[in-house]
Amino acid sequence: MIRHRNLKIGALLFSIFVLVLGVSGCSSSTETTYHQPKTLRIATQSSTESQIMGYMLKDLIEHDTNYKVKMVNNLGSSSVSHKALQNNDADIMATSYTGTDLTGTLGMPAQKDPKKATKTVDRLLKQRYDEIRYPSYGFADTYAFMVTQANAKKYNLTTVGDLKPVASQLTAGVDSSWMNRKGDGYNDFAKVYGFKFKRVYPMQIGLVYDAAEQGKMQVILGYSTDGRIRSYNLKILKDNLHFFPPYNCSLVVRGAIIRHDPHLKKVLHRLDGKISLSTMQELNYQADDELLEPATVAHRFLVKHHYFEGGDN
Amino acid sequence: MKGLSLWQQFWYYLGHNGTYVLQQFNHHFAISVYGVLLAALVGIPLGILISRHHHLNGPIISIANIIQTIPSLAMVSMLMLVLGLGDQTVIVANFLYSLLPIIKNTAAGLDSVSPVSLDAGRGLGMTKWQLLVMVEMPLSVSVIMAGIRNALVVAIGITAIGSFVGAGGLGDIIIRGTNATNGGAIILAGALPTALMAIITDWVLGWVQHKLAPHTAKKAQ
Amino acid sequence: MMAFLQAHGTELIVKTWEQIYISAVSLALGIIVAVPLGIALTRCKKIARFVIGLASMLQTIPSLALLALMIPILGIGKTPAIVALFIYSLLPILRNTYAGMEDVDPILIDSAKGMGMTNWESIKMVELPLALPVIMAGIRLAAVYVIAWSTLASYIGAGGLGDFIFNGLDLYEPDLIIGGTIPVTILALVADWLLGIVERKLTPTTSRGGAANDQA
Repeated sequence: MIRHRNLKIGALLFSIFVLVLGVSGCSSSTETTYHQPKTLRIATQSSTESQIMGYMLKDLIEHDTNYKVKMVNNLGSSSVSHKALQNNDADIMATSYTGTDLTGTLGMPAQKDPKKATKTVDRLLKQRYDEIRYPSYGFADTYAFMVTQANAKKYNLTTVGDLKPVASQLTAGVDSSWMNRKGDGYNDFAKVYGFKFKRVYPMQIGLVYDAAEQGKMQVILGYSTDGRIRSYNLKILKDNLHFFPPYNCSLVVRGAIIRHDPHLKKVLHRLDGKISLSTMQELNYQADDELLEPATVAHRFLVKHHYFEGGDN
Repeated sequence: MKGLSLWQQFWYYLGHNGTYVLQQFNHHFAISVYGVLLAALVGIPLGILISRHHHLNGPIISIANIIQTIPSLAMVSMLMLVLGLGDQTVIVANFLYSLLPIIKNTAAGLDSVSPVSLDAGRGLGMTKWQLLVMVEMPLSVSVIMAGIRNALVVAIGITAIGSFVGAGGLGDIIIRGTNATNGGAIILAGALPTALMAIITDWVLGWVQHKLAPHTAKKAQ
Repeated sequence: MMAFLQAHGTELIVKTWEQIYISAVSLALGIIVAVPLGIALTRCKKIARFVIGLASMLQTIPSLALLALMIPILGIGKTPAIVALFIYSLLPILRNTYAGMEDVDPILIDSAKGMGMTNWESIKMVELPLALPVIMAGIRLAAVYVIAWSTLASYIGAGGLGDFIFNGLDLYEPDLIIGGTIPVTILALVADWLLGIVERKLTPTTSRGGAANDQA
């Protein structure tokens, strides 16, 4: 009887032991900073742009080094990506935007000068989190208010300031996280421009463009590099009071990863300054409107510009 | 892709992104299977335990039941706060959700072994362990299979949600579809393989379950 | 926690109500369709297997997939969510209604016929009351499923407590995530418990020992 009972308990403990092994074996393999990891994890947000850049990095790393790359996709915002780096859930963040990092992640006051903003962000990310921020890819993806061409004519809109007289009649569709953003969110916007909309609908950012095109919203807050601006022929309203800070885009990598690996450090520089705003819009357009996966778009871009043959465009 | 119908777009998409879709398909299936296998490793012994010690039935099944009632998005998000972003979170979620069906079915299967078979085994001089391995388990394997089948189908659904915490899989394609212009075709390209994975798994394991049923029970099933 | 309740207290109530609303409507639609259908199938056994098989197949479809598939057809918002949830609620209710009706002792149906009852009267006064506990078990199961999946419906714009969770995931704010997961879990557990009570109340004392309602 006792033997039989021990056997059962033994089976139970063994199962739990196997379970623990199984779970820890499946989790990320980068533990200590001195142990050379075999897999790098790239964190990307759910935007097409972030995924395209993420997959470009994946292709380059896997082609030029011995690392394998695992993607950690669809994170909701930069904050999540930074948290992923800090928690060692990821090693590289594919797209970090100066403005978002400055006021959001770092909690610093807004800074309109792009050079100053970049310097501050680079410095503080390294200081506080040991995150190394690379030079910009070459484009800035900024928040932009947009309207259909029809509405632009109807209400005579060229700049954001032009919305003031008619704002009380207009509904606006915005990214749900913009409502709560500090420094460059809705409340600060209302203070600077001196008006609020009739009603603001927060929604998943992917849905605002459709909302504008279907006439459900008269104004939307979208991203300047989105491919749908082209496909829906939307008009971007100029930010005449420079409310939105600069949002230059670059990659961020954990210091621990590149300190002991100068070769990887160099490889990650291959995309510096290579992607202009119009290039990014075009790439986004291919993914958003031409039914190509970001992974496919990224790969084709690199092939087209001879990255795999040692060239850099 | 204005000129094409929804289905034309769908095939165009598959044609141009086939490798990617296949990679995600495999990744998705692997994550689902790992969780269920781990649950089987823990759940089957626990089920055996319960069928031997019925007083444990209450607490263990209650805990597993509560886990089952927690909405999957809630579970996955909470696990993410503890285990971080990435597929390990989803594997653990799948593990937790697979426990109840497997434990319950193992216990039920063992409990339903006819006393006649047990007596016959004892009559042959089998020890408790031999009885378990050579009589009870084989007779219960079909019911246990039903639990595993149920668990795997559910796991496939939970893995789809895992995309929200960076686990990858076909959910990534579905999310892209909801974010893209006229993403209907992309949503299809993500949702259909996921649905098919679940439906086909259900059929195949249902067939296996039927085949494993002891001959006498097959007619009843 | 107090800070969270202060900042989001009203939202919490509104979203809980939204979620209960879409769950209740989908469940109600499910009952309205599946119960009569289940009863009808007991009279047309040939297609019963096919119909139940179809409902079973629909339920195998992962929830995110089904919800997302509604978007190209019905757009975003509460309506597509309700349709998707309605589809999910069908199988448990349908299967249990059919099984419950089938389980009614044929002797009783015969006596009903013997007493001169029409088909409809037999169903209404004999079979349905006897099948009620099993049907209720199916409704309870469907309700738990629907509440769980309605959390995900927030993704297609249906509102509900899932909004907190998605916002929390988007901004990496554990407060919001927990502020969504705990209420929704409580909601699911409470609904399960309440419906469990209703189910027990509807089970006649004589058959409480062996209600055939295990459809996990």
